[in-house]
Amino acid sequence: MNANLRRNWLLQGVVSLGECGLFFVAVAGAVPKSLRYWRELCRQVWFVGAMSLVIVMTCGLFVGMVLALQLFNTLSIFGATSELGTAVALSLFRELGPVVTALLVAGRAGTAVTAEIGLMRATDQLDAMSMMAVDPLAYVAAPRFLAGIIAMPLLACVFNAMGIFGGHLVGVTWLGLDNGTFWGNMTSTVMLQRDILDGVYKSIVFGGVVSLIAVFQGYTAPPTSEGVAYSTTRTVVFSSIVILAFDFVMTAFMT
Amino acid sequence: MNPGVAQPESSAAALVQVRGLHTRIGAKTIFDGLDLDVPRGSVTAIMGPSGTGKTTLLRHLTGQLRPDTGSVRVDGEEVTKLSRRDLFALRERIGFLFQNSALLTDFSVFENIAFPLRQHAKLPEELLRDIVLTKLQAVGLRGAAQLMPSELSGGMARRVALARAIVFDPMLILYDEPFVGLDPIALNQVLRLIRTLNHTLGITSILVAHELAAIQKVADRVYLIANGKLVAQGAPDELARQDSPWTRQFFGGEADGPVPFHYPAPDYATELGFREAHR
Repeated sequence: MNANLRRNWLLQGVVSLGECGLFFVAVAGAVPKSLRYWRELCRQVWFVGAMSLVIVMTCGLFVGMVLALQLFNTLSIFGATSELGTAVALSLFRELGPVVTALLVAGRAGTAVTAEIGLMRATDQLDAMSMMAVDPLAYVAAPRFLAGIIAMPLLACVFNAMGIFGGHLVGVTWLGLDNGTFWGNMTSTVMLQRDILDGVYKSIVFGGVVSLIAVFQGYTAPPTSEGVAYSTTRTVVFSSIVILAFDFVMTAFMT
Repeated sequence: MNPGVAQPESSAAALVQVRGLHTRIGAKTIFDGLDLDVPRGSVTAIMGPSGTGKTTLLRHLTGQLRPDTGSVRVDGEEVTKLSRRDLFALRERIGFLFQNSALLTDFSVFENIAFPLRQHAKLPEELLRDIVLTKLQAVGLRGAAQLMPSELSGGMARRVALARAIVFDPMLILYDEPFVGLDPIALNQVLRLIRTLNHTLGITSILVAHELAAIQKVADRVYLIANGKLVAQGAPDELARQDSPWTRQFFGGEADGPVPFHYPAPDYATELGFREAHR
């Protein structure tokens, strides 16, 4: 019995992964056609990007502040508090910026996209589009997928900027570190290609993964209130796992 | 006439022609050799017990679902073999009224009707506005153009959906249970619209519905489908008078008959433990 359940569970996982892969191919194929719906793309970038700004900026600020506080205490043991700016910036650019932003976007925008598409499916809106000879993959799925890829790196940059501002607030304004040392050490150590762009590449991949999962879960949500609720939950759970797993793999290749 | 072997009246003028349709969904057989014809310019009603595949038939006609075997021809085109591009081209000539209206909830009534025009026709804004208002006027809702779908009653939403379905002046409209959940006034309004569209524009209509009184008012011909096959056909009045187990149960509203009252189950007494199970 247990073996059967395990096998079914494993089988379901493999089937879902395969379906998601095929869905990705279908959405990617619909991307060129979706570019004619550029207004819809702009609306989605606004929804995923601009509407996530408040949460991303607030979290970025607090993450930067707590990072500076923790690192200041640790660095002061070794008498290296002058490296606080560098440590905060590197932690943010390489890891925390892309990863935390992706987790936040999955929770805020990913769930909304899944619920929206799931309800569109449940109320026959996707079928209605298809009956009006409008491909829902090009009109609904592809713009939301592209919006994630476009908005995620921009949001991560905002997160990083707010994090550094928070770090500066704690390190310099509160704990009294020298302003010139904070900025000087940071700018001389952080490299554009190695640190900043690697983080941006991560963000682009996370953006694609989060929006693909969100759109896929919405598209395949059973047309019931319970089905949409489960799919929304799955978007957050799967996105979180995949973001952290991809982060490890990408970091391993980048370092 | 033996209703079990009902055959469609073959017509060269048939807009829709279904032959030998076989469909299985999961373990359930939906169609088991269905044949039917829908003449041009007619209002044809498809009736049958719930779960008999009436909506599935509409999905076959529009290529949303492909049958396992069989032929579905609409305006001479074999739907089952059309490419995606050709299928979309065919759908531009077919209007589909969904059971729950399926209006796009992000758009106003005006934009819902303008949606197909904006996607497929590069029209000047003024002309587009005129077309949309004409269609809204036809369904009596020109004054509701700026409302959002959430502000409409069920009957109004159905009429907006109808205006959207006729925006390209289609040759064929498919109505999926258009009377469900409507009060008598809204039902009569939708009924009148179906008849008017058919008479004035000559649009062929296929209607999936259960409301006998409404169907008797509007339909030229009724097909009764059960157990995956066509079991009876004819004009509504003619069919209501027909003496076959299917028409007697369906038109007489009998609870038990060829469509059993009880869902298939093991023996009642055995299940309650009053009788030993047969070994």
